[in-house]
Amino acid sequence: MLCIETKDLRKKYASTVAVDGVDLQIESGQVFGFLGPNGAGKSTVIKLLTTLISPSNGKISVLGIDSSKHPLEIRKKIGVVLQQPSYEPTLSAEKSLEKYGMMWNIDKKIRKKRTEELLSAFGLEEIRKKKMDDLSIGQRRRVQVAREFMHDMELLFLDEPTVGLDPAARRKLLDFLREQVKNSGLTIFYTTHVLSEAEYLCDNIAIINNGKIMAVDSPSELKNRFGHEKTIKIHISKVSEELKSKLSIIPECQIKLEPEPTVIINSTKSEIVLMNILKILNDTNTKINDLSAIPTNLEEIFLKVVGDSN
Amino acid sequence: MILINPIIRLVNRNLTISINPGFIIWQILFPLIYIFVAGFAYTALIDSVPFGGKNLDYPAFLASGMIGFNIMNSTLISGIIIWNDRRHGMFEQIMSGPFTRTHYILSNIVTIGIIGLFSAALITAVGYPVFFDSVEFNIVTIPLIIFGSVVGAILFGSIASIISVKLRSSEGFNVIINTVFLFCAFASTAFYPVQGAPQPLATIFYLNPLSYLVDIIRAGIFGQVTDFVIIEMLLLVALASILFVIATKLLTKLDF
Repeated sequence: MLCIETKDLRKKYASTVAVDGVDLQIESGQVFGFLGPNGAGKSTVIKLLTTLISPSNGKISVLGIDSSKHPLEIRKKIGVVLQQPSYEPTLSAEKSLEKYGMMWNIDKKIRKKRTEELLSAFGLEEIRKKKMDDLSIGQRRRVQVAREFMHDMELLFLDEPTVGLDPAARRKLLDFLREQVKNSGLTIFYTTHVLSEAEYLCDNIAIINNGKIMAVDSPSELKNRFGHEKTIKIHISKVSEELKSKLSIIPECQIKLEPEPTVIINSTKSEIVLMNILKILNDTNTKINDLSAIPTNLEEIFLKVVGDSN
Repeated sequence: MILINPIIRLVNRNLTISINPGFIIWQILFPLIYIFVAGFAYTALIDSVPFGGKNLDYPAFLASGMIGFNIMNSTLISGIIIWNDRRHGMFEQIMSGPFTRTHYILSNIVTIGIIGLFSAALITAVGYPVFFDSVEFNIVTIPLIIFGSVVGAILFGSIASIISVKLRSSEGFNVIINTVFLFCAFASTAFYPVQGAPQPLATIFYLNPLSYLVDIIRAGIFGQVTDFVIIEMLLLVALASILFVIATKLLTKLDF
């Protein structure tokens, strides 16, 4: 079943086009990563999908509900963690969760139970009585994300939820989210600038730039489509003039002298180039200290897709 | 029920985040000081104040004026809620949840009304010893006090809401809201009688909605409902309606 569907979605502010003809079809029960550079239109798309703002043009259907006709019905079924912090400065972490559950009309007994579960799952027990105003940015962010799990939902929007979190808290959150998707069939629409997070968590990924979708696919398919170019690094003992001269005829390679002499190959046919270079190194009596092949990661794909579109 | 339930939940939340021990102590302590220190200290200067067909002791006059003043002061909370919600991202968060802007606006009005009534009841209880000699409650006057408290709370709550929507910086918000409320407090009939004031100041007193609120509450407490008080009631309703519409429109247009 389609959880989110947009057709020719556009949002214009005065002379700026923030979202320019976005078509999305997102299946239920997955983590959908939404990546893009700053100002690409990610947060605007989230605000459109969560009915906070209206589109200038195009159609949005969330959980099978037309957003222009029944925005409140959509909002009753979704959870939203926006990019900017949101908190009640005078409430404690525990009271924040409890009151948020009350706002969502959750039964008092269930509220109490969920509050305890979430305080434990997000490692907030020690700061449960501390006022939100006195917490660090990362602690506040954890409360903000935890708070959203006080109510039931079918779809959760997370706009850069790990900003300000330390690596341990980040991993704990990602594992918690994976578990939620696995156990409850929740769909998550996830934006981040930390691409290793997206690679770890997301089933499918869309890359947006200048308000347009540049690519949509699973991380492995994106690597297959855009990751033909591989990088191989050969650390060598010295760089002679003869070696420089012989390598200069191979355009796919470059020599770096710092921090140690290295020959770097960037090519779609890196294996063939490598054979040629190994022969040259042998001919020039250059000793190889180390050789490493760098696997294509999502960051390189992202940079390539965004770079190409720019 | 569909409309009411979300409003009740938001009112619950508004009261939880706004009312704290400090607020309640201040709401009691400040009027107490005014009524029992200033009230009796100024008795030497102002012996009695004519109101309707009665002559009131100055402490009784001041205590009844403090009810209106306290209602106005407590409605500052409305502005503070909106301003804090915008500053701390809760406005957007609430709007992305199971609420509409209508729910948000109406919940603020109900919150102001509750706080206004609570405040009026508090000062009536605190000030009762000084004005109980002149009190004339009856079937007409008690609803009048409740009417004045609620409409006055909506009026001043709307002013606070308008200021909070228009100003982003905490300095700007505090300076403007304190200036407006201080002017309203001291250029009104809350603390002193209009009789004997220079003519320009007396005119300003009667251009100030706090004077209408204070006069209506006094009329309710001392059973002196005159034609002038009825005109003041109409003016209070008209002003509260206009300001409420402006505040609602501004809140509706707030962008994300």
